[in-house]
Amino acid sequence: MAKVSPLAKYKLVFLGDQSVGKTSIITRFMYDKFDTTYQATIGIDFLSKTMYLEDRTVRLQLWDTAGQERFRSLIPSYIRDSSVAVIAYDVANRQSFLNTSKWVEEVRTERGSDVIIVLVGNKTDLVDKRQVSIEEGDNKAREFGIMFIETSAKAGFNIKPLFRKIAAALPGMETLSSTKQEDMVDVNLKSGGNSSQNTEQQGGGCAC
Amino acid sequence: MFGPQSKRDIALEWQAQFPMLRQSIHARRANLVVKFQDLYGFTVEGNVDDVNVLNEVREKVRQQGRVWWALEASKGANWYLKPQVPSISEGIGLKSSLKFSGFVNAITLKKLIRKGIPPVLRPKVWFSLSGAAKKKSTVPESYYNDLLKAVEGMDTPATRQIDHDLPRTFPGHPWLDTVEGHAALRRVLVAYSFRDSDVGYCQGLNYVAALLLLVMKTEEDAFWMLAVLLENVLVNDCYTNNLSGCHVEQRVFKDLLAKKCPRIASHLEALGFNVSLVATEWFLCLFSKSLPSETTLRVWDVLFYEGAKVLFHVALAIFKMNENELLLTHQVGDIISILQRTTHHLFDPDELLTVAFDEIGFMTTNTISKQRKKQETEVMKELDLRLRRLNSLNEK
Repeated sequence: MAKVSPLAKYKLVFLGDQSVGKTSIITRFMYDKFDTTYQATIGIDFLSKTMYLEDRTVRLQLWDTAGQERFRSLIPSYIRDSSVAVIAYDVANRQSFLNTSKWVEEVRTERGSDVIIVLVGNKTDLVDKRQVSIEEGDNKAREFGIMFIETSAKAGFNIKPLFRKIAAALPGMETLSSTKQEDMVDVNLKSGGNSSQNTEQQGGGCAC
Repeated sequence: MFGPQSKRDIALEWQAQFPMLRQSIHARRANLVVKFQDLYGFTVEGNVDDVNVLNEVREKVRQQGRVWWALEASKGANWYLKPQVPSISEGIGLKSSLKFSGFVNAITLKKLIRKGIPPVLRPKVWFSLSGAAKKKSTVPESYYNDLLKAVEGMDTPATRQIDHDLPRTFPGHPWLDTVEGHAALRRVLVAYSFRDSDVGYCQGLNYVAALLLLVMKTEEDAFWMLAVLLENVLVNDCYTNNLSGCHVEQRVFKDLLAKKCPRIASHLEALGFNVSLVATEWFLCLFSKSLPSETTLRVWDVLFYEGAKVLFHVALAIFKMNENELLLTHQVGDIISILQRTTHHLFDPDELLTVAFDEIGFMTTNTISKQRKKQETEVMKELDLRLRRLNSLNEK
């Protein structure tokens, strides 16, 4: 397999109450699909994806976490290693929105202010069931000084913008977090995934 | 179907066509994906090799069935509950030492269970050997039904979480993912959440209870198996509010890995890989979410007879089986991929259990208990510290 120059590598941890759509957001981003039959995440799950931006290529490591309250005690070590925390809530579930404050605190406890936090209001497709307005989400994000976006993993709405937004906020190429050589073949991409990127990754082996 | 020679030819052909894919035969043929149903109705995606292995496993299960039935016929039904019954292998003239024959029976049973309990006998054997039958016998006959009646219509955080998880528990399974299956699973989980309010409901138990339902056939027996599992077989507090028991097991496992597979352990350490990344799910779901169903149940066969240390044996074996590949990894993601791929394709239970018990070697429950004690203090300190940090942040 072709070795390439080190990619900038970033860890993103996905937090939020159960069933707000953390796994769905990740799956939409990874494979551009939505499934109603996800298994509940237990503990932590891991996926990685190479993202091709206009001026650079970054490798994102996505850490999906279990939403149930008691699993919180398992998560700090993942937060500690992450440069980005995506805190999701369900716009049709007010409690999940209120609980995002706890998640922000959890991240601040581990990382202080040295972290990018994005508040994500998911499930905007549930128009009739909405319990949290976009203004409320926006206000909360301002209050905490974090980024904000609304998405629908089901409808495929705003998922790419979410990740572009994150990528744009990441520290630049000059501060590479990765010191190790990496293979370009992304073993985590299963069949049925984003095939164009897949081929690109397998074929592209420039040794710069 | 194919002889070993033709298999190799095919492999070579594939290699010629796809020079990119030069891993194992397994990986090369992985492109030919077929969907099939396993012994317990789960749809599995695998390649041709996997189908062949699964067919072999079916045949082995049949053979094991014959062995067990022969034993029932010669030693009497429930022979495994009466270690005093002289073993036939000793012959009629040799029943001088009942103690000795009991010992022989225990050894026979242990070996036999490691080779697998036939699916038809599982409900009966599990129920007796795990202690579930005894547990059930200490309460009135109507306990389970009374409990169900008492909690009907109750709405608690546990019931809400259970309702969230029902459709997310083995989705697509022909029985579990039906109205009937959801209702049965719900009753078992809800009933248990009221039996032990410290545990209530913890994610992960949904997978365990679902598989118990498939094996035990009746809800009530599945309920008692869940009870004996949480209350007697596993260590305490694995599923309670801060999962402290689970934290302890992870740390003990980390130490065991360093002892039993030092090369892997130091490589993982160098890459900053924490074993809890994969082991949390293994221990909380008792492998039901990672291994194919029959393989999981073979692990549970031994778990119910030999106790919680079996989980360490199996977890260590999964690492051990991938030693060479793991030592070549450069990043955390690759480690996880290797382990996930291997576990999902472990269709041959004997392959796993042979490594787990023969290669990993002996570990006494006593040694593990000592290690647990040692880690317990550390875990409690750390969890407490975390709580205090969170609280102080709240006060600001």
